[in-house]
Amino acid sequence: MAVNAASREAGVRPGQRLADARALVPDLLTAHAEPDIDLDLLETLASWCERYTPWVAVDPLGGALVDSRLPMDATTQSVDRGPTATFGGDGGLFLDVTGCGHLFGPDTEGERAMLADLTGRLARHGFAGRAAIADTPGAAWALARFAERQGALLSPVGGHRALIASLPVEALRLDAATAETLRRLGLRLIGDLLPMPRAPLTRRFGDLLVRRLDEALGSAAEPIQPRVPAPAFRTRLAFAEPVGRAEDIAAATSRLLAALCGQFEKAGVGARRLDLALFRVDGSVRRTDIGTGQPSRDDRHLMKLFEEPLSRLDAGFGVELMMLSAMVVESFEAAQASMPMASGMGAAELATLPGFAAAQAGPVARHEDQRVVQLVDRLAQLLGAGNVVRLSPRASHLPERAVATSPAGLPAAAPGSWARVAALKGTRPTRLFACPEPIDVTAPVPDDPPMLFRWRDLAHRVVRAEGPERLVNEWWRDAPTPGDVQRNPVARDYYRIEDEDGRRFWIYRDGPFNAAADTGVTARWYLHGLCA
Amino acid sequence: MSVFFPKAFAPPAARPHRSGAYPGTYPFDAPVLVLDRGRDGEADVAGRDDAARMAALRETVRRLERGGFDALPSSVSPLGVAAIDAVLHEGGLATGALHEILPAVGDGRDSPHDGAALAFASLCLGRFARAEDGTRRQTVPGRILWCRRAGGVFDARPYAPALAPFLDPARLILVETARADDVLWAMEEGLRCGALTAVLGEVFDTDLVATRRLQLAAEKSGVPALLLRRRGAPAATSSGVTAATTRWRVASAPSAPVRDRQGRLVEALGSPRWRLELLRNRFGDPSRADIPSWTVEWNDETGDLAVVSAPVDRSQGPPVERLVG
Repeated sequence: MAVNAASREAGVRPGQRLADARALVPDLLTAHAEPDIDLDLLETLASWCERYTPWVAVDPLGGALVDSRLPMDATTQSVDRGPTATFGGDGGLFLDVTGCGHLFGPDTEGERAMLADLTGRLARHGFAGRAAIADTPGAAWALARFAERQGALLSPVGGHRALIASLPVEALRLDAATAETLRRLGLRLIGDLLPMPRAPLTRRFGDLLVRRLDEALGSAAEPIQPRVPAPAFRTRLAFAEPVGRAEDIAAATSRLLAALCGQFEKAGVGARRLDLALFRVDGSVRRTDIGTGQPSRDDRHLMKLFEEPLSRLDAGFGVELMMLSAMVVESFEAAQASMPMASGMGAAELATLPGFAAAQAGPVARHEDQRVVQLVDRLAQLLGAGNVVRLSPRASHLPERAVATSPAGLPAAAPGSWARVAALKGTRPTRLFACPEPIDVTAPVPDDPPMLFRWRDLAHRVVRAEGPERLVNEWWRDAPTPGDVQRNPVARDYYRIEDEDGRRFWIYRDGPFNAAADTGVTARWYLHGLCA
Repeated sequence: MSVFFPKAFAPPAARPHRSGAYPGTYPFDAPVLVLDRGRDGEADVAGRDDAARMAALRETVRRLERGGFDALPSSVSPLGVAAIDAVLHEGGLATGALHEILPAVGDGRDSPHDGAALAFASLCLGRFARAEDGTRRQTVPGRILWCRRAGGVFDARPYAPALAPFLDPARLILVETARADDVLWAMEEGLRCGALTAVLGEVFDTDLVATRRLQLAAEKSGVPALLLRRRGAPAATSSGVTAATTRWRVASAPSAPVRDRQGRLVEALGSPRWRLELLRNRFGDPSRADIPSWTVEWNDETGDLAVVSAPVDRSQGPPVERLVG
């Protein structure tokens, strides 16, 4: 539950009964709490705040402290319209702005300007919020929620101790019970706690109080966990006037890419995954990302990958800021320095293990023609990485499991790895059906290959047949349950057959004919592939 | 030997010249020679100097045909069957060209069986790869792009273990799209890239415009393109005109009975046999009236294709599609 500033002045408090509140304010507007929507809004805000710093976190305590006894004007950012619950009037965001202030001005001026910019922009979007900058997250939290004066919202470097000393103990992010006890003991202000000996405090109130005190003062570390991993490289471009035309956005993207690739050049890395964020004037953020199979710092190639996703991005009423972040980068040097490519059978089998394939990416990648690498990136961007694949053999005798696919960005199996499989030669079909198709069969003797079969409404007379080749389930997997037998039979008897026109098929019976008595399932015939 | 000006390459006077109308430059003042190949053995009579001149003229003609692009010298990769290679222009399948492979239909009913066509397409890819390996000085073998539309429940992918005798499946990059148009797009991207060994696309339907684009892209980059049609078409109805340089129809043929050492029949399948028909051969001998066709046998052990009977004369049959470009 939450109330807005006007209600609060009229005496309405969260936790009050509605009748009491109505008595105080007859025309009180109420609405149901929707914590999920509040959380979404807070996430949107957090995303928006990434314009200032990548290190943005939603306050994990959030509304845990909702308590009628707390002064409710102490919120970092509160939604002024619509009562809310969990995060409602109490949700907060942490921004790690270390080293960001200088973008707005020198020293303290910059941080003050940034603070004004943040609150100003939020106010324009209709959010009533309070923000504070201090040396520690704990102190900033306390100042934003409990400071009386606006001037105190920017704590000078090293000055947070003096500032928070005058704040009530609740500002230490304590649970309601502890705060209540402290108040009863006459310890109303944080300043009252500072000279107290630590040991009795810990004994009396547990670990939390002292830890919170240390966090607020900066003697204990409290790192901010960013919502998304902070990118190693980032470029941004702010516009004086919002841009909305697709050509302008594309041109800006290509400028950002050129700048980012310059950074890559210096650091000796290439991008694997890039994230482009468009900050729209309506406050929402549109994002799109691209991936490459191998590290790249070719801005023209990367721009080509962005072309299609950009065309799908909606600029709305205009974009005021664009930010391009390299979420994953890989070193070129590391790729080249990794182990030399092993050769022969053993290596081929190893290469089918995903981990090993990734480790091998380096040496193979170096030799692969860059034009092919870029082609694969382009195809994968439009069709999905899972649809542009390489094939490698897998050690399985089951036909449908014998081929492993991996994204084509990764290197293929070593040349020659298919040699072992090639021994199967003509016994395998050139086309294998994803789902074996049931066929109607006429067979003279139950265990023999059929004389006639119907597939897709066409009858084929069998002239020659070869078989059976019995393939049983892999013993190292779980045995199929009785209900599963239909889909995944214990054994399949495969026949290669040729019809009167010379067409060859690969058909199987899902189990020996006499198995029907044991399992209760009648053996059926399926067509699994078309042979050369 | 006849000399004339083809309409398309008429001198500038006959065609208003606009800047940018011609992508490259070629000698307008030189007469264009079109040579009837081997009609009366002129090349043999003319001697060695003339043979060199002929080669130069052929190159000129090729450049003209490629719209003046400074095209790569075209090459061919032989199929390895003397009887078939003799019919093909310069003795093999041209790289930098589009080749179309159709599955056959049997007895007027639409057969979905394209196992043989798929195998023949793989064989062609393997031949292209082999020809390229001979010239290339790269540590990584060239990649082959295989584009197809994923077919859902009835999908039947090419099965790599069965392709292994024809080409190394490790070279394949398999591209699966949701839409049919994307297959052509992916093929074109692959051809434009220019660094691939070959590009193959499985399509159900296509038209002149789409195949013309592919043909031009292949000509420009010198990368061979194969179009594997999934649906066969009866010869009589002519399944649409395409711009492919060659067009093949591949049908399964009954294999020979297998006998053991004592000469007794064995219940087993012999080497697969296919019936190949060269429906279109753009640079072939225009004087030929019949459609060349062969019955060939694929030998798994040696990796060879061999003709098992003489080409069948089908000139008495109804006139079937015949395009000589």
